[in-house]
Amino acid sequence: MCKYSKLIPIIFFFIFLIINSFAKPITIKVWYPDELGVKPKYVDKAAEDFRKAFPDVNLEVTRYKIPSGDFLTKLLLAIDAKEAPDVFHVGGTLMPEFVEAKYIRPLTPYVVKWEDWQYYPKSIKDAVRYKGHYYTIPYGLDVRWLYYRKDIFAKAGLPTDWKPKGWDDILNTAQKIKNSVPNVIPFVIYAGVAGGGGTVNHGYIPLLYGTKALAYDIKSGKYVIDTSAVKKVLEFYKKAFIDLKLVPQEVLTLPKPWTTMREKLGAGELAILFEGGWVYGGWVTKYGLENVEKTVGYTLMPSEKGTPYFTVGGLGTCWYISSQSKNPDLAWEFIKRFNTRDIVAKINIEDPHPVARLDSAELPEFKAIKYLYDCTQILNQAKFEPMAPGISKFGNRVQLMTGRVASGEMSVDSALQKFIEEMKSDFGDVIIK
Amino acid sequence: MKRNQFLILGLLPAIFLMTFLFVLPSLWGIYSSFTNMALLGKEAANFRFLGFENYIKLFKDSAFYTSFFNTIYFVIGSALIGQFLLGLIIALLIDYAERRKIPGRGIVYGIVLLAWINPTLIAGFQWSAMYDYYYGTLNTFLKFLGLPKINWLGSIPMLSVIVANIWRGTAFTMLIWLSALKTIPVELYEAGKIDGANAFNRFRYITVPMLRDIITVNLIQITMATMGAFLLIWAITSGGPGLKTTTLSLFAYRTAFESYRLGYGSAIAVIMLLINLFFGIIYIRLFRRR
Amino acid sequence: MKILVFIIFILIIIFFSIPFLWLYLSAFDKEASAFIKLPNFTLSNFIEAFKEYNFTRYLINSSFVATITMLLTVLIVAISAYSISRIKWRYKNSLLYSLLLLHSIPLSTTMVPIYGIMRTLHLRNSYLGLILVYTAMQLPFLIWLMKGFFDTIPEELEEASWIDGCTSLKALFKVILPISLPGILVVSALSFLGAWGESMLILILVDSEKMKTVPLVFYEAIRTVGGYMEVRYELVSSFAILFQIPVVILFILSRKLLATSIVPGVER
Repeated sequence: MCKYSKLIPIIFFFIFLIINSFAKPITIKVWYPDELGVKPKYVDKAAEDFRKAFPDVNLEVTRYKIPSGDFLTKLLLAIDAKEAPDVFHVGGTLMPEFVEAKYIRPLTPYVVKWEDWQYYPKSIKDAVRYKGHYYTIPYGLDVRWLYYRKDIFAKAGLPTDWKPKGWDDILNTAQKIKNSVPNVIPFVIYAGVAGGGGTVNHGYIPLLYGTKALAYDIKSGKYVIDTSAVKKVLEFYKKAFIDLKLVPQEVLTLPKPWTTMREKLGAGELAILFEGGWVYGGWVTKYGLENVEKTVGYTLMPSEKGTPYFTVGGLGTCWYISSQSKNPDLAWEFIKRFNTRDIVAKINIEDPHPVARLDSAELPEFKAIKYLYDCTQILNQAKFEPMAPGISKFGNRVQLMTGRVASGEMSVDSALQKFIEEMKSDFGDVIIK
Repeated sequence: MKRNQFLILGLLPAIFLMTFLFVLPSLWGIYSSFTNMALLGKEAANFRFLGFENYIKLFKDSAFYTSFFNTIYFVIGSALIGQFLLGLIIALLIDYAERRKIPGRGIVYGIVLLAWINPTLIAGFQWSAMYDYYYGTLNTFLKFLGLPKINWLGSIPMLSVIVANIWRGTAFTMLIWLSALKTIPVELYEAGKIDGANAFNRFRYITVPMLRDIITVNLIQITMATMGAFLLIWAITSGGPGLKTTTLSLFAYRTAFESYRLGYGSAIAVIMLLINLFFGIIYIRLFRRR
Repeated sequence: MKILVFIIFILIIIFFSIPFLWLYLSAFDKEASAFIKLPNFTLSNFIEAFKEYNFTRYLINSSFVATITMLLTVLIVAISAYSISRIKWRYKNSLLYSLLLLHSIPLSTTMVPIYGIMRTLHLRNSYLGLILVYTAMQLPFLIWLMKGFFDTIPEELEEASWIDGCTSLKALFKVILPISLPGILVVSALSFLGAWGESMLILILVDSEKMKTVPLVFYEAIRTVGGYMEVRYELVSSFAILFQIPVVILFILSRKLLATSIVPGVER
């Protein structure tokens, strides 16, 4: 054999490598968390449509059956290790943080050419714009209600079409229930670290907005602490938890207070609860629509003295394109196929949320459901969650502050002082009124 | 010496593995404590070298002090007092029961051991069910006796978690003492009895001196293990309510994986390392008097 | 006095066994709850674990990883501990203490770089990756333990065997190993259990369904299955029983096989 015989296998190997790299199909990775089991069929439908349109592309969809917090950790680690998926699904509140971390791509070039973009109302478009760019397309929005048990109200001799005239009315109503209906928790509002995001978005923020104050100033990019407003919020917590003992202390310590409290309201053991709109669907699944319509009422959150009534809106969870994606155009094609009129309508019928697109809201099967109809109506009165970077740090400080007051550990003034110190330490510059 | 060289060869695989999966990550961790590395937010895009700024911030952070003192309570309560004393007492009792043929010692030994080899997550699950406010075994028992329910995880979280940890870890001390007690010749005790010493004095003047080194090692081991204990507390209270059961290890974890501030979290970890160092030196000093 | 000791024994037994009674009763109960009660006996929880939750796969994964980790760990620990025990060096003790100290850096810090290393080596979601990490993380403590054990075996024994003509290596096998068997068994058991029950690194090292281990599934169960609904005690208890199987087996074995004086009931 000639002396170059050893080279032949090496040459073949390199030819093999070269062919392989050309023949390798483009892969688009899509990751999302889901425990409830509603999303998969819609994600799969979008995937199917995508594959039909792009048969040469390898679309890998992975569903993680883990809580969204654990998914977030997993996602962030993957991004850090430069192994991010092309498309991922996280909460809209984190958008500013993801932008600041340079983790996501703006969708602006795509949406301006998208014919469906016209169906999204201006308020939604404004909500997904950060520093001049659009970063995501929401589909199922979050709203919150002040839920109450009509049957318990009837037992207490209260009118079942409740429209609280202000914070004091809420407390008085709860007090009446405490006095007349035994074995029932009068009122729950989340506080402390145990409440997690619930403390912030179902407790603190609704109350804060009720004083007409804001938490974050978009223009200057700084957090705002309106001391007199925050004091009022803390006073409410103090009254509810300590003075009148309308909210049980376990709310501060249960491992998953939101799960427990939702169950309790559904079972008729809790009278008043401020929670997310998505919880209603859970009760309907468990107890049947007719039953729930008879027993569970919902009303808007009042401001401190009554008007304006409002709800706290959130973007829900949505899809983003990773900045590490090598094929952003294809990634967009997937997102586009998920955000169709029909998918958006159907997924939000199954997992009740108001929809972000007007044409989905007009679909008869969507309009037919009273609860969803009501949710969509109140979007006009929605004040959105603060869209700010560092929102998780802020949330943590709020949790600590409310927890300290609700447990009696600190007085309102000390807790507020502490909060100001901690916010300054976290964010440096904070606007204090 | 040729033998020494041969022995060093034997150490290579261990050194290799530990360097890559231990030493290097730990060094990275120490390095990151001097930066503001983060997994989210603008620091994720580019981090800055901060020098000692994280540590200064830490010393001004009340959450740090809370978790620091919680760690102390937890270690003293569950390890130094709980596991050490309980393990000692059980070992002594079993030893005594062996000599006097009291029944039950086998079961005691077995069940204490079972609690120790039981995976931590399961132990956490069991105890969170025991402590459950509405339906837990403990409160159900109290209700049965006509007593009011106790909010274990709400009002006395640290105590609850300490008890769970004592339940979990006593076996280790018990094992150490059991095997150690057997190394003391019976004759010494007999001699002591003849001299008129009662049980307590026999313990103090015979047992303790002979087992001094073992006591030292045991105390070091359980202190360090308890200081780093994470899963049990995490599974029962996640550090709550608020920060009441957040020890330094939980504080470090939450900072790194809930707030995603890696640099700050690593600073906490380095402090933990220094504390371990501190305790280690103290124990060695105290007991190396011989 | 004897009666007092007996009563204390009863109390201790009650304290230590209640959580287990609850666990075992709940796993076989159709309507288990957080309190201990007589079960509405059923095996359906276990059936569900295997059918709906793919537990066979998880058990296989965990068994394989734990076994190989145990073998690798024992091998490395035995050799390393022997070496450290016999080596003559001034700074030996300082090295030992620093080893133990390094061990006490909490996992939360080393988790992120370990994630990076494993990903670079493409060892995430692989048996090899898990085995290497689990072995490495147990080495400091187990080497320390085994070294202490070897320290109690006088060097004269080996020296005697050298005079008899054995090489160092042969001496190790023929003389030291038999005597150190109890220590080796302890290290085997600890390393197996350590790998079997590892619940922190697995969170970041594995996410593919076919590589999941039992602790990971259990962790997800106590956080997920209760996420939107209350915790399903009966199902999670059955997971716990499956999770505990090798633990209980080892426990029973250790009572029978370990005829050394560590176990009470055996005459000195």
